[in-house]
Amino acid sequence: MTHEEITRRDFFKRAAAAGLAAYGLAELDRLPEAEAAAPPTIVVASKKSPAQLVRAAVDGMGGMKRFVKPGNTVVLKPNIAWARKPEQAANTNPEVVAEVIRLCKAAGAREVKVIDHSIDGPDTAVLKMSGIGPAAEAAGARVISARSQAMYQRVNVKGGKVLRSADVLRDLMRADVWINLPIAKVHGSTKVTLACKNLMGVVWDRGAWHQSASLDQCIADFAAQFRPNLIILDGVRTLLSNGPKGPGKVASPGVVVAGLDPLAVDAYGVTLLGLKPQEVGHIKLGFASGVGEMRLDRIKVKHV
Amino acid sequence: MSARPSKLGRLRSLRRASQLVFFAAFVLLFGFAAYLVATPIPPDLFLRADPLIALSGMASVRRVVLPLLWFAAPVVVLSLALGRVFCGWVCPMGTAIDLCERLSRIRGQRPSKAPHLRRVKFYILAALLVTIILPAAHRSASDFGLTKTVGLSAIYWFDPIALVTRTFALVVLPVVQWVLALANDSLIAFSYSDFVDRHDWIARAINPVQLGFSTVGRPAYFRLGLYTFVVFVGIVALGRLARRFWCRNLCPLGALLGFLGKASPVRLAVSEACTRCMRCVNECKVGAITEDPHVYRGIECIGCYSCIAVCPVNAVSLTAGRAQAHRDDRLELDRRRLLQAAGLGVAAIVLPKVDWSAKRSEPSMTKIAGSKLIRPPGALAEESFVTACVRCGECMKICPENALQPAFGEGGLAALETPILVPKVGPCAQSCTLCGSICPTRALEPFTVEEKSHLYLGTAIVDRSMCIAWANDRQCLICDEACSYDAISQKQIEGLGRPVIDERICVGCGLCESACPVQPERAIHVYASGDKRHLSRKEQKAIRDQVGERPESGEGLPYPGL
Repeated sequence: MTHEEITRRDFFKRAAAAGLAAYGLAELDRLPEAEAAAPPTIVVASKKSPAQLVRAAVDGMGGMKRFVKPGNTVVLKPNIAWARKPEQAANTNPEVVAEVIRLCKAAGAREVKVIDHSIDGPDTAVLKMSGIGPAAEAAGARVISARSQAMYQRVNVKGGKVLRSADVLRDLMRADVWINLPIAKVHGSTKVTLACKNLMGVVWDRGAWHQSASLDQCIADFAAQFRPNLIILDGVRTLLSNGPKGPGKVASPGVVVAGLDPLAVDAYGVTLLGLKPQEVGHIKLGFASGVGEMRLDRIKVKHV
Repeated sequence: MSARPSKLGRLRSLRRASQLVFFAAFVLLFGFAAYLVATPIPPDLFLRADPLIALSGMASVRRVVLPLLWFAAPVVVLSLALGRVFCGWVCPMGTAIDLCERLSRIRGQRPSKAPHLRRVKFYILAALLVTIILPAAHRSASDFGLTKTVGLSAIYWFDPIALVTRTFALVVLPVVQWVLALANDSLIAFSYSDFVDRHDWIARAINPVQLGFSTVGRPAYFRLGLYTFVVFVGIVALGRLARRFWCRNLCPLGALLGFLGKASPVRLAVSEACTRCMRCVNECKVGAITEDPHVYRGIECIGCYSCIAVCPVNAVSLTAGRAQAHRDDRLELDRRRLLQAAGLGVAAIVLPKVDWSAKRSEPSMTKIAGSKLIRPPGALAEESFVTACVRCGECMKICPENALQPAFGEGGLAALETPILVPKVGPCAQSCTLCGSICPTRALEPFTVEEKSHLYLGTAIVDRSMCIAWANDRQCLICDEACSYDAISQKQIEGLGRPVIDERICVGCGLCESACPVQPERAIHVYASGDKRHLSRKEQKAIRDQVGERPESGEGLPYPGL
């Protein structure tokens, strides 16, 4: 019987791994049960109208009643960054947003707020052209353009490697439930914009992220702390070139992806754009920080 | 012992009501336009009704502009029929002065002590007419191959409607918006407090209020706001020398309407009952009644009819007819002064056009006068633009991005207070066509969203020594994201994209400069070097068409054109 030789380097490696594992387990404790217990599941709905896609995806996740309880205040965060039309695939599909609102209302939500900190202005033009303003109001939501700093509160980002704090939408911080509604687009700077990147629209001073040492790390840091109760990724249309604003090449995968793990949703979303998860900086960094699972072979994909 | 007030005495109450109604209309039209509420009447009604502005607007483009004529003509007819009643009953500047004098308890000097400067307004008018007509005539001549010249319309200094509109746009609106925004922000902060959390009914109650406030939007900010404010305060403060000092001594529009009023058959008459108590003389806002109460200056009278109301013996009445013994319509202008004024007008045309950037051999100001003189879309070529623009501030007020600011040093004196795009404050949003739709003088001609992709205002240039991607080797590219026209692409160097600009596509809208995160000086700037206003829209379109397909543009803002 021979003793296994352990070099000092190996020892440190294993010790570090064990430490990380212990830390990771402790962290896992804090995650929602569904994720801690099993590999993350995402639901991919396809071959339906946008509204049906949303219903199928949410049903696949256990139905909206699993997330929204009667009397809840729900905040939806679609991407309403640009004064672009729905066909240009620069903003979340208005039909997707409207259907999510209807599902929330049907589940008994007291109030549904649709909020974004748009980049383009003026707000009236952005809301009208994106189609989200009229669609969301018709579905019974309150649409808010978060243009006043009074609507944000300073929040410390615990464990942030680059991002230490951020001014985050108060409505988001106080919501009973919040749902991230990104659209899948390529992005000139961060390669893609999906669930993690979409969260830049809930902070006030995002310019600081660009000026920081690493924009990708800021996105990962923020996603690690701010986890939505549900993610519904709009892949009805995707923007394949000249993102995030376009105009560029628009494809129509006609899918909606739902999940709880932002990295799992993003990892799948990346494939809609013809890329691989490991090509995207903020997803890799997010995985390293334990935001979620980016390895496609470890993600359970439920097709509906 | 005073007699029972005559029925005519009610004219004063009627006049006050008229002043308030027109002033309210002015404020409402102004406010509606600022918040893009459609109105059945043009929001720039008062500017268009101003014959001086109409004249200047038409002279600068050298043709009859019907939208200007339609509204100015009634004022001319009114003055021919009734004299300067526009000044007494309608003019928002006159009402603003009346209100300020009343609120500040400014009473003016006694008539005998008030300065005798009433002729000054005619000299001002003469100088202005020279600045309006001479450049137009000269440019007509230049069409036949003579030397090119430029003009400077100085009417914005003195036109009362332009002055009061500018004061509202650059001073009143920002202050009101700021106060409302402060209230809104306080309410927002309050609505998130634990106290409101515990009392749901408060949250429900303040929600609609908060929504109402939030439609006010972010408060506008204008440089030169303070200067504009000081000018207006100065005009009001002159009332300490004599009430309505501006109207009686300086206003060129009042001079013009008074001159037209010489044709009016209507006149005041004083009966033999007059006791020479001098109440009417002391009451007259514009000092139109001479030391002899039986004689008044028809050119000065603004038809406020306070004289009728204050007369204790009802001696003052209105009559019509040719016999005008009591009305003194003499102008009494000094020919020497008139010539001096005309000379000043010529100087006002020539002197401000000093342009240190142009070569002597080039006609001055034909292209651009300064690198930061970036005009809104639809602006006329510079020499016509500075002549046509009356600096009313309507375009600056209506710009939803607050991007249009009054020029200060960017284009020399000739461009003072004209609108320029300042991307650091805000960009020219792709979907917006508002400034072109509101300009009363067509210094900004209407344009469509589609045309915006070939109306070249300037060109953006990346400062590579400051750019996060170029200088710091870090990912950023916000400028590329923000560009509505796809003029910015990225050059991959060492695996990192760096922004480069296609100057054939870039129209200088400033979305990139506005979005650039580098503070306080941006790393990408729009310069007027790409300004192509000297070319026709067709020629500009041809330049853009050479590059190929252009991105699909959106719809315009929900605002009805004018």
